[in-house]
Amino acid sequence: MNSSTLRLAGAALAGALATLAIVAVIAFARPQTNATQLAAQPATTNSAPASTTNAPREPRPFDQVVVSTDWLAANLNNPQVRVIEVSVVPGLYERGHIPGAVNFVWTTDFVDTVSRNIIAPERFQELARAAGINNDTTIVLYGDNYNWFAAWGAWVFRQYGANDVRLLDGGRSKWEAEQRELSTRAPSYPAGTFTVRQDSSLRAFLPDVLKVVYGEADKVLVDIRSPDEFSGKIFAPEGFQELAVRAGHIPGAINVPWKKALNDDGTFKSVEELRKLYADAGIDGSKPIITYCRIGERASHTWFVLSEILGYQVALYDGSWTEYGNTVGVPIANPAGTIWGVK
Amino acid sequence: MTDTLPRSSSLDRAAPSPTINLVHTGLGALSLVALLAGAYFVQATPGHGAPAALSLLIGGALGMAFECGRFCFFCIFRDLIEHRQAGPFYAILMALAISGIGYAIVFGAFLPNPSSGRLAPDAHIGPVSPALALAGLVFGLGMALSGACISGHLYRLGEGSGYALPALGGALLGFGLGFRAWNWFYVTMIAEAPVIWLPNLIGYGGSLIVHLVVLGVIAIALLRWVAPLSEQPARAMTPAYLRAVLLERRWNPLVTGAIVGAISVIAYLRIEPLGVTSQLGSLSRTALYHAGLLPARLNGLDSFAGCATQVVQTITTNGWLIGGLVIGALGTALLAGRFRPTRPRLGGSVAALAGGVLMGWGAIIALGCTVGTLLSGIGAFAVSGWVFGIAVFAGVWLGITLRLHRWL
Repeated sequence: MNSSTLRLAGAALAGALATLAIVAVIAFARPQTNATQLAAQPATTNSAPASTTNAPREPRPFDQVVVSTDWLAANLNNPQVRVIEVSVVPGLYERGHIPGAVNFVWTTDFVDTVSRNIIAPERFQELARAAGINNDTTIVLYGDNYNWFAAWGAWVFRQYGANDVRLLDGGRSKWEAEQRELSTRAPSYPAGTFTVRQDSSLRAFLPDVLKVVYGEADKVLVDIRSPDEFSGKIFAPEGFQELAVRAGHIPGAINVPWKKALNDDGTFKSVEELRKLYADAGIDGSKPIITYCRIGERASHTWFVLSEILGYQVALYDGSWTEYGNTVGVPIANPAGTIWGVK
Repeated sequence: MTDTLPRSSSLDRAAPSPTINLVHTGLGALSLVALLAGAYFVQATPGHGAPAALSLLIGGALGMAFECGRFCFFCIFRDLIEHRQAGPFYAILMALAISGIGYAIVFGAFLPNPSSGRLAPDAHIGPVSPALALAGLVFGLGMALSGACISGHLYRLGEGSGYALPALGGALLGFGLGFRAWNWFYVTMIAEAPVIWLPNLIGYGGSLIVHLVVLGVIAIALLRWVAPLSEQPARAMTPAYLRAVLLERRWNPLVTGAIVGAISVIAYLRIEPLGVTSQLGSLSRTALYHAGLLPARLNGLDSFAGCATQVVQTITTNGWLIGGLVIGALGTALLAGRFRPTRPRLGGSVAALAGGVLMGWGAIIALGCTVGTLLSGIGAFAVSGWVFGIAVFAGVWLGITLRLHRWL
């Protein structure tokens, strides 16, 4: 080995050691990460600390539940308003969002990452405070895919006690189509004081649904999936992995596909049109309503329409068909006659 | 010296025509104008819009940089392994350094707190498993056999290379074999493999320091294999000299690398991380799907970030990027007098095809190729990028030792 090779090896070794040292110093000097704290947290159930405030609200005026792009553009600097994007496509928020909007990721910020449940109240309170939200903040949610997960977010916010929760009419696509301003900057707000006050009346579980099926509760079940899923012709729309072993619907449910509540451009139909749409299907708000779909996300859209816009008493069954259709011993309706996917 | 170098060495390249070929120059200018016009029209097409147009332009810029700088991973590795010439390797190091700096800046806006344990959105951060190393090794062997990696073949398609088509055709077959093999590798190795992202552990600043120190150490270690630089005589800056510098001479590796790195950052900021296999892999996946040859379920494949494939009927942003890459390379090759259509020989075509199959297979198991997993992965501080990169280098080394590259 000649001396230049030795020198080279020495330099390489010194470099590697320096690198290691830097990694070690930075890794050990840092405070404990949230990730480890999260992992150490005990599993919490959401049903425990329920303070049932089951008082149906007076329907609020349409423009106080659904905001137009014009209204939002004029209120971007309003400190009373906090805008939240909930999009499904990763990177969408980051590459340009409504200026000042905070990002909530539905897979981690609205649901529990381990058990099938909505996010635990303590964790949600932490996230809401970090976004600078107080209990009286006007929360405006928007997202891609016709506001599906923005509506899911609205449902979680309402369950945890936020009073003024609104959706951006037409969602992200309308804001983009109007070529309005977008920003790539991540906003930062002073911590808010949001305190969770749980309202369990907005959520239905399997026993609540079975009471309706067995005639023990006088409620209306609304299945918002496509007619082919409802009849059992197909198990799920193409490309979706989470399935039930049985196709069909919950006996007695009424099928009103979620998209009927929207105009072609993704904006909500007028209050009169919406009231008529559901009344024609036999849903007039005279009885409490339970909405469901496949995993609960599209049904939260219809929940928003019926509960927030029309002011009916509505709970979302987020277990939906992937729970019900997989449950042993419960009756199903399957007009298409599919059994195990085979006729 | 240059006479003894084999054809595909990156140190030597066909000397540009002494006289400017008017037909080629005209066609070259036309290609680049067509690229701009294409972007203009794509931008106004519903369903494509600005992201597609920008992808086309980014692809075009990348094609021009690859072609003018001869940014071909295989040639660069080969110069180092076979000829002990490290000069071109600095293009890769520079591209990684600039990518790292740019990614750190973009990451800071995209994911302000990396210690939350989250990964930056759609950055190419993959699972680190033996499957990744194996895929890199196979990919490297494929590079040696076919004479270039997938991005290399794409830009050489623009230079008229006769082996690019059989190699890319082989890659399409290889993607298919990769899909068929995926489930086994996923269950045995990939599903539980750690996804290691340096910023989760040491933040963006720490990651960037480590990144630059490692690249710096490699750069210093390779200095001994850099050929002595010749004195540059003072020159008047005439249009003819400018043309020679911009088009005819190979760009300085540091310049090429910096440009590729900048393009990589722009692509991540505005569209998605650079990669060249997503649309091609989707082609294979769609064909297999319609032929009923795709496994009914590709476990977990779509849950990883990387050069994602899907069953599609349309041109994705990645498709526009690849189109731009080929046209950009074609335009500059024509302008520079390097467009030399070659007629492939049968034996060489078979070798290129076989190499393509190996690369396609490796790119599916590794969730990307030298651009998607190596460049965009290392630039994003992903350990998977380094593992893949080292394995590819080892594969090329093995391939050259086995003299696989002589079959072309």
